[in-house]
Amino acid sequence: MRSGSLARQAWILARNDLRQESRDLELVLTAGFFSLVVLVMFGLSFSALDRHAQVLAIPGVLWLAVAFVGALTLTRIFDREREADTLRALLVAPVERQAIYLGKAAVTLLVLVGCNAILVPGLVFLFPAAAPMAERPLETLALVVLGCLAYTSVGTLFAAGLASSSGKNVLLSVILYPLTTPALLLAVVATRALLEGHPLFLTYLGQLAAIDVVTLALSVWLFESVLVGADASARRRSAAGPRR
Amino acid sequence: MTVPTHVLELRGISKRFGRLAVLRQVEFVLAPGEVLGLIGANGAGKTTLLSIVAGLLPPSEGERRYWGEPVTELRCEHRARMAIVSHTAQVYARLTARENLRLFDELRGTAGLASAQPDALLDRLGLGHARDRLAGTFSRGMLQRLALARALLGAPELLLLDEPFTALDRPGRALLADVLLEERSRGAAIFLSSHDFDAIAEVADRVLLLEGGRIVGQVARRDAADFRVALQRLAGHLPERDRMREGLRA
Amino acid sequence: MARLLPTVFLIVAALVFPYSVDRIFLHTPIEREMGTAQKIFYFHVPLAWLMMAFAVTSGIAAVVQLRRASVRAEATSLAAAELVLLTGLGVLITGPIWGHATWGHAWTWDARQVTTGLLWLVFAAYVLVRRYGAAGSDRLAAALAIFGAVDVPIIYYAVRIWNTTHPGNRVVATLPAEMWNSLWPALIALTLVSVALLLVRLRQELTDIALDEAWILFNERDGHEQQHS
Repeated sequence: MRSGSLARQAWILARNDLRQESRDLELVLTAGFFSLVVLVMFGLSFSALDRHAQVLAIPGVLWLAVAFVGALTLTRIFDREREADTLRALLVAPVERQAIYLGKAAVTLLVLVGCNAILVPGLVFLFPAAAPMAERPLETLALVVLGCLAYTSVGTLFAAGLASSSGKNVLLSVILYPLTTPALLLAVVATRALLEGHPLFLTYLGQLAAIDVVTLALSVWLFESVLVGADASARRRSAAGPRR
Repeated sequence: MTVPTHVLELRGISKRFGRLAVLRQVEFVLAPGEVLGLIGANGAGKTTLLSIVAGLLPPSEGERRYWGEPVTELRCEHRARMAIVSHTAQVYARLTARENLRLFDELRGTAGLASAQPDALLDRLGLGHARDRLAGTFSRGMLQRLALARALLGAPELLLLDEPFTALDRPGRALLADVLLEERSRGAAIFLSSHDFDAIAEVADRVLLLEGGRIVGQVARRDAADFRVALQRLAGHLPERDRMREGLRA
Repeated sequence: MARLLPTVFLIVAALVFPYSVDRIFLHTPIEREMGTAQKIFYFHVPLAWLMMAFAVTSGIAAVVQLRRASVRAEATSLAAAELVLLTGLGVLITGPIWGHATWGHAWTWDARQVTTGLLWLVFAAYVLVRRYGAAGSDRLAAALAIFGAVDVPIIYYAVRIWNTTHPGNRVVATLPAEMWNSLWPALIALTLVSVALLLVRLRQELTDIALDEAWILFNERDGHEQQHS
């Protein structure tokens, strides 16, 4: 199938998910309010910190919020799929499996970046040490997108795998946090570098981008194998020789 | 060079989950314009078999041939020519009936595949009045018909149905039977599993009995003087409790 | 012959180990900066290397498992994953002991320490998914192992990327000859033990699968006889 149609199919599926979301706004509202709650709680807890301590605390706050919102988003998106079993309808249709992955990942990324539209300005408002994020909006945007992408690429693969196998939801948390933490740690380090005006910020950003490329490529490659699985029967039969 | 005459050919298909053998050495063929029925007790493996034919599940052993070509992995080009209606409707509750169909219509379109008109299909399946209602408000029978409409979008050459009559009321069953016979006359190959013996007797050309994962019996319409009676006799092999549930006399 | 391999390995390890301990504690000079506590290094480092090696093994076996639906590869992936947990436990215990004795902190949030802990958690998730997951979850677990294996280079370069309290990557390469010579026996002994365990576990898993198939065949024959009787 032509690669142009892969992108188009992913776009159609993503648009479809967004259309469904616009009907009841459940996901957007839940994620949005969650981000607000996180902001308020951290604002209250850390308001007394001096500037230096703030620089250390803010990155953690930001990416912890992303981790939680990410888990929430993925759970909601795939719970719907699992309830109606609609993933299976897509798997039997003449749709490229990778398009299914890309569509879902796109929607998740959109929600996560959207929540950052609440978190980042909120942090800037609450903590003076977060001012660099407002002063360098482009770098902040790049950081946010790259960090959320690292989370999304891994999370979508495993959430989809669990959704299609009538698996238990609790396993998603067990899987998601250890896998995404290395990338999130790098995002935390990069955020701190941004706040301190550290010269290595761009290097960290580059490394984050590299991790994104690797996890995205790996997830796309593995998606079909995880959801449907390969057929060994033909190979085994020919190895065993003709029957009778 | 021989032209492949069969749409579907299964040889030696077995499926195990750990210690549980769900299917053992299942073999049959399916020709275009033929309706093949599958009956069997609950847990006999009907849904597993349909999932394997639909490409959702790989078999542990055995070969599948689609249009004469041995296939280990159902690619887009195969999936474009077939469709499955499962016993769960698998439609998007937050989309209208028309939007559900349009989604798959568009997806087929990106692959350069033609589709029937969604509105015409909805009318044909008696859902014309509900075309702009959210699928989440549909009754179970309507959901089933919507799933069928989606399956028919691509005028599939191979149509698979898993317990399609179960959710339907009497008029719904009559409608489905009509649709299946229409598709058959169009040349589609149809493979369906069901508990409903009357319905199967009406539409099927041949019926297989699946028991304990094995095909243990077969009845063809053209071979039987009275197909319905032959079917009952075949079904007589079913365990007592299933026969009673279907209201069959021994 | 292959059956005896684990036993052979364990016997050789049983011989090498006392020799190794003797060398480390009695014949290797005490390190200048860190004192006697540094001796833990001779166990900690091989365990860390083994952990990463098993993680990579599990990942590669998982790739084969997914591409070829190979049962042997699946069993290998599982056995290697369990050994990641075992050796990882060794690393995560010896590390803090060393850290506490040397720098006064057991857990310093050093980058390598943290990412090793995370690798351990990833493979713990692997084992949990296999155990408690539904039908298709062996494939999901395989994906986990693959991502875990990809984590290994990240751990290896973690020291270079971040400022840490961990001794740099250069430490091992610049060891004086006597220390290096003491590292080898410990490495050999630990490798032999863990590979022996891997082989035993692998055999156990394959036997389990063979039993399942025998059970099925037996029932099949039984069913046949009942049908024809």
